[in-house]
Amino acid sequence: MNTSSDRWLAYFMILPVVAAVLAFVIGPTWDVATLSLTQVVMGQERGFGTLNNFRALAADPMFALVLKNTAIWILGGTILCVMTGLAVGTFLAIDSKMTTGLRALILLPWVLPDVVTAMAWKWMLHGQVGVIGSTLQSAGLTEQQISFLGDPDLVMWTLVVVLIWRKMPLVALILCAAIRSVPNEQIEASRMDGANAFERFRFVVIPNIAFSLTAVTVISMIWITAEFALPWIMTGGGPANTSQIMSTYIYQQSFEFFSWGVASAMSVVNLVMLMVIVALYLYVNRKSWATGAAS
Amino acid sequence: MTYKLNRRRFLAGTSAAVGAAAFLPMKIANAASGDLSVWKFGGTTAEVEEWAKRNETFNAEQPDINLNYSYFNGQIRRQKLLAGFQTNRMADVVIAFGQDIPEFAGFGMIQPLDDIAGDRVAGWKDRIVPEVLASGMHDGKLYGLPTYVDMASFLAINVDMMEEAGFDRPPRTWSEVREYAKAMTKPDRPGIAFPATTAPVDINIFQGIAYANGGRVFDEESGKVTLNDAGMVDALQLYVDLIADGSTPQATSLTETFFRDTAQLFAQGRSAMWIGLSWLNTPWGTPEDLNWTGAPFPRPDTPSGAFPPVAAIMDPTAILMVSARAKNPEAAVEYIDFWSQNEQLKIWGGNPEIARIPAGKAAWGEPGLAEAWPNWVDSYNEGTLFEGAEPMPRFIGVSAVESALGTAIQEAVLGQKTPQEAMDDATKAAQAQIDLLRG
Repeated sequence: MNTSSDRWLAYFMILPVVAAVLAFVIGPTWDVATLSLTQVVMGQERGFGTLNNFRALAADPMFALVLKNTAIWILGGTILCVMTGLAVGTFLAIDSKMTTGLRALILLPWVLPDVVTAMAWKWMLHGQVGVIGSTLQSAGLTEQQISFLGDPDLVMWTLVVVLIWRKMPLVALILCAAIRSVPNEQIEASRMDGANAFERFRFVVIPNIAFSLTAVTVISMIWITAEFALPWIMTGGGPANTSQIMSTYIYQQSFEFFSWGVASAMSVVNLVMLMVIVALYLYVNRKSWATGAAS
Repeated sequence: MTYKLNRRRFLAGTSAAVGAAAFLPMKIANAASGDLSVWKFGGTTAEVEEWAKRNETFNAEQPDINLNYSYFNGQIRRQKLLAGFQTNRMADVVIAFGQDIPEFAGFGMIQPLDDIAGDRVAGWKDRIVPEVLASGMHDGKLYGLPTYVDMASFLAINVDMMEEAGFDRPPRTWSEVREYAKAMTKPDRPGIAFPATTAPVDINIFQGIAYANGGRVFDEESGKVTLNDAGMVDALQLYVDLIADGSTPQATSLTETFFRDTAQLFAQGRSAMWIGLSWLNTPWGTPEDLNWTGAPFPRPDTPSGAFPPVAAIMDPTAILMVSARAKNPEAAVEYIDFWSQNEQLKIWGGNPEIARIPAGKAAWGEPGLAEAWPNWVDSYNEGTLFEGAEPMPRFIGVSAVESALGTAIQEAVLGQKTPQEAMDDATKAAQAQIDLLRG
């Protein structure tokens, strides 16, 4: 078989994937982009080529709050998820009977359905009957039971904590696998050169897992941006919109207010924001990304 | 002009005539046949189980109709229906809420039953309580067949706790409800609880109180949102006062506890009273030793709203509607007619379902209803049950207005804003949404 026919075979083999991406990713994205530029009145499309939906979004006093909450959700969630995942992954990389068992057990939060997770946490955090609040109170740590999801000052960060509990296990396992693949010779050599544990981790392990770390950060960011069920079931965006984020507000605009144009405009803003953040992150980490990809 | 008849034309003509004669009667005979899809949203456990059972009866009575029935949670109805409508895969019959009718009709999602049901409508009028049937009307046309209604707002009271506090009857005015709640409060048990999440039912409960105070959320004539009318603001002040009196659970917990959980906390003796819709605790049951009663929510001492105070607001929360794109409207009408029969409507006559106010006239004669709700039956027989009652808010944009109201309730309950400030901001936000939606 010559080179030319190899190339055609390769194109043929990737054709189904290309078709699927066009149909299920590019198609809907294009649809949302055009809808964001369409005036929708009473559920009917009335005229294309308008920026009215984006103007309405800019004039919406809620949108600034949604952006702030989304920043906490995405950036706070991603950073804490990856940092915790790295710490847990490092621990799991140690060879012992306990860590072998934990590596399987840690996936439990990740495999539970969103609805089950959300309902379980909602009740554990409840201000009247929640086990967490009553434990803190009976231990004398709080005067009265805390309502974690009803307190505007706590709700957003409480959601982030639940999010980390749910998403971190996979991050930890990926990083654990990466850490375990770091050549022992390098670690031994650095130990012989007098590097302490932190220095070995910082200057040997981290550079070796940089590619995995970058990849898992980007993937986490995308997962967290797309997460809807967890915050919606736990708070519905409340109280008083203090946990309203992009995904829940887009849902509310679409399915409660019938403002499909505005919801699409918000989706476009969300997509652009995510692309910018991911691009910036990849640019900053371009060396590790390029090295890892090449290897 | 001459017209020549040749053999070929004669054969074609006679074949067509024979064919038409052969197939036309078959088509009429099969008018109510084929596939019929039905989506039902919401309902208590007893109702959902009974509905499925009755569908089996429908299948037996209509063997030519292939019923494809699905049940969904009531909270996702808009998402499901909109997605179905947009993708042209909406069910022929949808069983949703009466508050949805203006929006669904305005967006062309449902069609008037008068246009497709013909003389069946007369039978429905005979069998359904007129005030309840009216809840299926919009712009002078019947868009849905109601099976029952829910009314707002009501108060569930633990009788033992009430008597312990020195009272022998439920409170009747807002001043009294504050007094009762204060007296019934103990260090580990609030005197009253009310749900203040953004769930639609929680908002309906508040609306029932505000409408009785002469408040309204929207003025259809002027197209203006009226959330900051005194009737609405003062009702919200009542919520704030109850919290300030120390008669409720922590404000932060009220905003995370929706109606069903509030009912269950009441059933567990964790509050002495709770504010709900007409069904109060009946869908979930209570411990046998819990001595409780239900009463209409107390009236304002002096109504302050700009609109006439109502006795209650009501909405049919299992109303049968036909999709504007129904593939089998004949079978859809057959299904609706089946559910308009007394045998089906008696489900809400106290056995097995005791949580709702029945739509069927015959259901009011059922002994189970008289046993469960003797006061309702007396009022119905006296013709006063629906006196002064109005539909729950229903207009294009109602969801946006109710969402803004939900936020305002939470802001005031949490003390972030005064009731007036919260309602002013909500009015502005809701008006913007309405203007955007209506163009």
